[in-house]
Amino acid sequence: MSSDPNFTGQSTESLVTEAKEALRRRKPGRIERVGDHLKREWQLYLLLIPTILWLLVFLYKPMYGLQIAFKDYSVFRGLAASPWVGFEHFQTLFGNDQFLRALRNTIYISMLSLIFGFPMPIILAVMFNEILHQTFKKTAQTIVYLPHFISSVIIAGIVITAFSPSAGIVNTVMGWFGLEPIYFLTKSEWFRPIFVGTSIWQEAGFQSIVYLAAIAGISPTLYESAVVDGASRWQMVWKITVPSILPTIIIMLIIRIGNMLEVSFEMIILLYQPATYETADVVNTFIYRQGIQGGQYDLAGAAGLFNAVVAFVLVMTANTISKRYSRTSLW
Amino acid sequence: MSGVSLKGIIKAYGAVQVVHGIDLEVQEKEFVVLVGPSGCGKSTTLRMIAGLEEISDGELTIDGRFVNRVAPKDRDVAMVFQNYALYPHLNVADNIAFGLRIRKESKETIASSVDEVGEILGLTPYLDRRPADLSGGQRQRVAMGRAIVRRPKVFLFDEPLSNLDAKLRTQMRAEIKRLHKRLGVTSIYVTHDQVEAMTLADRIVVMHDGRIEQVGSPMDLFLNPANTFVASFLGSPPMNMVKARIVAGDQGPVAEFDGQSLPLAQIPALQNSVGKAVTLGIRPEFVTVAANGTPGCVNVDVDLVETLGSEALIHASLQGDPFVIRTETLGHLGMLGDISGFTIEPDLIRVFDAESGAALPGQGTKS
Repeated sequence: MSSDPNFTGQSTESLVTEAKEALRRRKPGRIERVGDHLKREWQLYLLLIPTILWLLVFLYKPMYGLQIAFKDYSVFRGLAASPWVGFEHFQTLFGNDQFLRALRNTIYISMLSLIFGFPMPIILAVMFNEILHQTFKKTAQTIVYLPHFISSVIIAGIVITAFSPSAGIVNTVMGWFGLEPIYFLTKSEWFRPIFVGTSIWQEAGFQSIVYLAAIAGISPTLYESAVVDGASRWQMVWKITVPSILPTIIIMLIIRIGNMLEVSFEMIILLYQPATYETADVVNTFIYRQGIQGGQYDLAGAAGLFNAVVAFVLVMTANTISKRYSRTSLW
Repeated sequence: MSGVSLKGIIKAYGAVQVVHGIDLEVQEKEFVVLVGPSGCGKSTTLRMIAGLEEISDGELTIDGRFVNRVAPKDRDVAMVFQNYALYPHLNVADNIAFGLRIRKESKETIASSVDEVGEILGLTPYLDRRPADLSGGQRQRVAMGRAIVRRPKVFLFDEPLSNLDAKLRTQMRAEIKRLHKRLGVTSIYVTHDQVEAMTLADRIVVMHDGRIEQVGSPMDLFLNPANTFVASFLGSPPMNMVKARIVAGDQGPVAEFDGQSLPLAQIPALQNSVGKAVTLGIRPEFVTVAANGTPGCVNVDVDLVETLGSEALIHASLQGDPFVIRTETLGHLGMLGDISGFTIEPDLIRVFDAESGAALPGQGTKS
């Protein structure tokens, strides 16, 4: 007999079996739970791998290069060996008239695009939804989606031709009314309306698909109920369609605000010229000229980082405001 | 008089006709239920009355006014939909007030109407909530509130309780009935649930394949179905159908089947149908269970006994067809295992023509 007061007389074998059973029954720890989950759902994670790799290679690895904004970069020394200069490039940028002009233009063009360009896809979607003739509806949709699939170079070519002082349709029509031809693309005051108009023409149709999908999700009985209540089509648009797609509108607005400083770079490069820099040069074209053409990669890197930080702050602010006031948010 | 009259109403989609000339008179303040299986045309008929579907042919009058080409808003009807049709972005008060705002009623009228309706339907504490924050039953009440706030001449209900669970459905059924009694508005209610039809209706309209099979009070339809379709559609469990032939017995007509016989009511239609192939309609609750050797007992093969508390369902077969008996458990509990058949009063058997399925004339029990 054992002198141990806890001795119960059980054999070692049964104690081991009991211990194993207890081990099996205990609540699994966090790591174990994650392991179980991975074991169960490994196929889904396998599907995720290509996207994660893409994000790492194209979005996260380049972040290593952000340090260029804080270094006196030399292509001969390389990124790692180039000396740190702190915020010197940022100070240079904010002392540079061209950068400040580009920043001003970016904000101006973005605001114009937001005010005139953002509502357009919504209006188009609502209008498409009201078209009852299916063939006409499909034809109209194809026509407005088409410019999205045309290369920016061709779009720019169309715009340049359309506004040409000699053979352009705009000047031709103006000529019918006895107006003098204007070389629109060399006039800085005309650049912004032409650019914003072109962007709307190119993208509004395609962007309307998101809103059309949201409209398709509205229960038809809401409209039927409103019809019985006596609502006109106009009232149904304002009291049912628009409020029902409001969460989608808000999400799209948040995304749009986040991308505010990302003014369509290619289109500006294709349409602007030194005569219109005053109103056309934006941060991205400034970065392109300084960084790629002028070889000042560090300064351009600082401008790009500034752009990204502003975009981050904007999207966070928009999301927070939206979450607080409309219960809708990106995250 | 705010009744609704349908004369020869037809609905066709191209060459396909789905409602084949419906004639129906709904009296003022009456609660009429259109019932039938899916695809029988009941919802289409209701939508034609609402003006949501065009009428292909026939005449529709509401309150004596021909309304075939009148817009839904001018028909003075209100409709309650199956999925509530509440505006998710508006709170309960604004949902209820929607129709009044559209009609540009004054703010005072809207406020007092919403308060009144909120009180009638017990929605006052929820007026500020959005539909997403309400339970299914509360949402259905809001949908009804939207309908009653306009004080229309006719209420149209399109399967309003289908999305609710069984308990809530029973509760809401009673509320709808109470509301109808209180407001006294002509109501047309569509459902595929025969229990809803039986409990709510002043009159039931049974529809099948775009046609009306029978119109009558719930008990009239239950006791005296016009044909085998109505007989087997109304009642839970449905009426048992037994193929038989009428022969002349010593004391009147007798139905013979499977080597067994059942005496029938002594009425001319049955007496004159000797030799005729018929279908007997026997309600599960009209039979009396019988043990082995009971005189006049029709034997069945018992498969299963389901005890439901106060009553039991005996699932059996007769001539190879299913035959269900519903009996009170009390007093029979000891013999449930010993049941071999049933007896039934001749007056409670319904006899249908085997070929057309129509009830032979002259049968009937006053409801």
